Formats: sequence, structure tokens, C-alpha cells
Amino acid sequence: MPLNNTNIVSAAQTKFGALEGVSLREMFAEAVDKATVDAGIPKKDIQAAFIGTFIPEMLVHQGHTAPLLLDFAGLKGIPATRHEDACASGATALRAAVMAIESGMYDTVLVAGAEKMTSVSTNKATEALAAAADDQFESSIGLTFPGVFGIAAVAHMQKYGTTEEDMALVAVKAHKNASTNPLAQFQKEITLEKAMTPRYIAWPLKLFDCSPISDGAAALVLTSTEKAKQYTDLPVKITGTGQASASMNLCDRADLTSFHASVDASRQAYKMAGLEAKDMDFAVVHDCFTIAEIIASEDIGFFKPGEGAKAVREGTTSRDGDKPINPMGGLKAVGHPVGATGVKQAVVVYRELIGDAGPNQVSNHDTAIMHNFGGTGASCVVNILRRADA
Amino acid sequence: MSEKPTVEEYLQNIQNGQFKAYKCVECGMVIAPPSGSCYGCGSSKMEWTNVSGKGTLVSFTVIHVAPDEFAEEAPYYIAIVELEEGTRVSARLLGFDPLKPEEVPLGSVVILDYEINKTGKKYLAFKPA
Repeated sequence: MPLNNTNIVSAAQTKFGALEGVSLREMFAEAVDKATVDAGIPKKDIQAAFIGTFIPEMLVHQGHTAPLLLDFAGLKGIPATRHEDACASGATALRAAVMAIESGMYDTVLVAGAEKMTSVSTNKATEALAAAADDQFESSIGLTFPGVFGIAAVAHMQKYGTTEEDMALVAVKAHKNASTNPLAQFQKEITLEKAMTPRYIAWPLKLFDCSPISDGAAALVLTSTEKAKQYTDLPVKITGTGQASASMNLCDRADLTSFHASVDASRQAYKMAGLEAKDMDFAVVHDCFTIAEIIASEDIGFFKPGEGAKAVREGTTSRDGDKPINPMGGLKAVGHPVGATGVKQAVVVYRELIGDAGPNQVSNHDTAIMHNFGGTGASCVVNILRRADA
Repeated sequence: MSEKPTVEEYLQNIQNGQFKAYKCVECGMVIAPPSGSCYGCGSSKMEWTNVSGKGTLVSFTVIHVAPDEFAEEAPYYIAIVELEEGTRVSARLLGFDPLKPEEVPLGSVVILDYEINKTGKKYLAFKPA
């Protein structure tokens, strides 16, 4: 049975990028204010908060972030819980909030995510990100995050003939979409030649195949169907949700060209929503690396295994294509403040579905899928969202 | 060495240049890196086993940008190798020019080796057979 009681009634994000002089709690409070008081939703209506942060312990030397962030944002007192599933932290928090509303325990809750990553060196941030992989068995031999996706890219290239140019085209698309998104870290289009600049991070992945290190926060207000009308005429329903895990170690995966947690979570979500990939108007997927978008587009069933690259080449996933993917620029060009990402993806889907995406608006916008995965693909959350009047 | 294998010993065996895998006592599945329960039958009874050291190169990458601990070693190869016994491990790959990754033959046979870094730490590694 599709879920029917969870409605997104407000969604906002800060600008993503190197937010100099803005601390974790300040960016969090900015996103919360935009999603609550600025949207006409009094903070006193919020009954509980579900917070995504990944690794503030290493990035800003701060644990126990949920009460800290809520206090600064004027929401002290309500239940505050942090959710951590690496890069899937945001959508994991969102899913917990969905379950809380569907259970009837709460009517109105906040979902928010934030990460401050640019206050440490790039090497330190890389080290922090590597904590999302298996430290004893893989990180300890020098495997990095870009390395994980480099290995997946080599396997995909070998099995399906995907090329470095195909991956570069994902970057070109991301930058083109982000060029009209004022909240994006990179707002400049790039040429294919530039995307192919041979500055390798983890061969075959180059600089422009990788999402950047970013600061940023995002927030959503979720409420029951009964209360939703108080806040907006156009709520967006979460009608299906799925979550799956997989082995942390890349070496324990039988197939390196697909992420099983993505396949499993998306099938769960489609089944719950009573819909299929063909019913989706667009997708927002976890493009931490260009190859990750190609593989995700196959794993969520938009394209057959091995045909994700062809879809990019033919423009199928462009904003004006048949199956737009990441129409506002994705992690790749908008930025990837880890704990904020899954929440920001829901913000993007919400804005597109209600027709509020400005120059980034896709033409068909009734139903969409969002896919947020964590670490080496060991965690994945997928949600199906549908405009309430669709 | 204790009867019930531990992760600490697994890692120490690599430092001693004596790689060993876990083996499920119930069904005989060979497992490395360690798991607390068998991927084949779910049993948590494990013992040590030696491996032939022969494997197949499944995939790889070349790390150019590395965390501080490994920065001086970059660029270096990390590979996924499927051992003859069926299990897959992540390891360094030796014997190829890190600036010519297009010359590395996927599917080729590799054999167990170790790489020693400046501080004397050993990495599990493989080289062309």
C-alpha cells in the first residue's frame, strides 16, 4: 500500500560551497529558518527533529550534534536525534521521520542535515570521508573514496564499454544544470574538453568526475495529511520508501558494476508506492562521482544495466530529455556537504514537483524518485515522491 | 595462534608476511577479509586456512590524491583480486607503471606479495604471475 500520511510542506537549503565564516550551527539554523518561519510555519508546531550529519567529530571537532544544532536554531526541548549512514545520513533521517509520522506518533516534524567540511585541509577531509569505508580492511591499505568509484568505473568500462568521455558528459550536464541554480557551488558551464582535463584523482576518475568538498545545510518540514492544509495548498507526498545495506568492503561484492543496496532500496520503494521506473518523471540520484550517476540510473531501473552511459550521450537524462536526472546540478556541481545531501535531494524533488524550480524546471513533474547512498554503497535510501494533486 | 581466528591476528599475519584466510568450519567456504559469519551458510565457526596465493585481477584504480598517511606513496595501485579459493580481497598491485594503467590486463593471473612502506608497515599486495 502506498504511504498516504506523510507530506512535505516546506523545503529549503542554504547555498552550498565554501561558506567562509559560517559555522555548522549557523548554516543549520539558516536552513531551518527558511523551512519554518520564512515559510509561515511556526517553530512551536515542530514536535521532533531528525538530523543528518556525517562526521562533525573529525571535521569540526563536535559530536552530539542534534541537540546542539536544535538549540541554536530555536528548537530546544523537542526530541532530537542524529542519524548517521555516511553520505546517506540525510535520507536516513528523512526515512525515520516518515516512519514517525506514519506511526501516528507525531504530526509535524523537522528533517534537517548539515556538514561543515571546508574548515579542514583537503587531505584531512579526504581522511574523514575515508572513515565511511572499512578502515581495517580497505582504508588502511590506502583506498580512498574516489578510489572506490575508480574501481567501479574500471569494472563498468570493462563490462559495458563505458568511456571516460561518457563520464565527463555527466559532469558537463551537471555543470550546465547548476549554472542556473544560484544555490550551487559551481555556477559555470564547462566544456567536454575541460571535463576531460587529465588531472587524475583516482584513475580513471579525474578532477571533474568528483563532487567537491562543501559546506551547507538543508531542511524540510513534514506533516500529516490532516495538518498539511494548514501550511500549503500543494503538499508533496512521500508514497514509498526503501532502505538497504550491503557489505562495506568493495571486495566482498560479487558485481562491481552495480550497487545492490541501490537496487534493493529502489525496488522496495517502487513496490510500496505501487509504481515502476517508467512512472517516474525524473530522478535525483547520488552522483558523488560521475560514474555513480551512470550506475545509479541503471540501479533504479531507468535504464538496463550497461545502458546508463548511452542515456547520457543521447541526452535522455538532460533536463529537457525523457528521463531528466539531477535537473538542478546534483552533488557534482551543487556540492556535497555530506550530512545535508540526502535532505537537499528531497528539497530539489519538492521544488521540481510543485513547479518552483525556475529555470531548472522539468516539464513533467508529478512523480519522482530520489536516491541517496552512503559510503561505498553500503547504505542506500530511496524515496518516491508525488505531488498531492497529481 | 588462538583457535578462534581474530581480526587482530589476521592483520598481524599480513605484517608477518604470512597471509591466512578464514575458513568456515561448517561448510568450508574460504573468507578474507574476515567476517564474523559465513557468507555461505551463516555459521560463526571459523578456522584459519592457508591459500595458494594465486588470484585473478578483477578491477583496480590508481590513487593519485591520498590522505596524508599515504600521500608520499601516490600514485599507487589498489586492486580487487579474486583468490583461487573464491574469495576477493582488496590489495596493492605491484609490477605495473602507475602512469600507464591502460596497460594493466584485467582478468590476468596475479600472485600474493607484500609491499613495505617507509615506516615498515606491510600492505597485502599482488604482482603479475
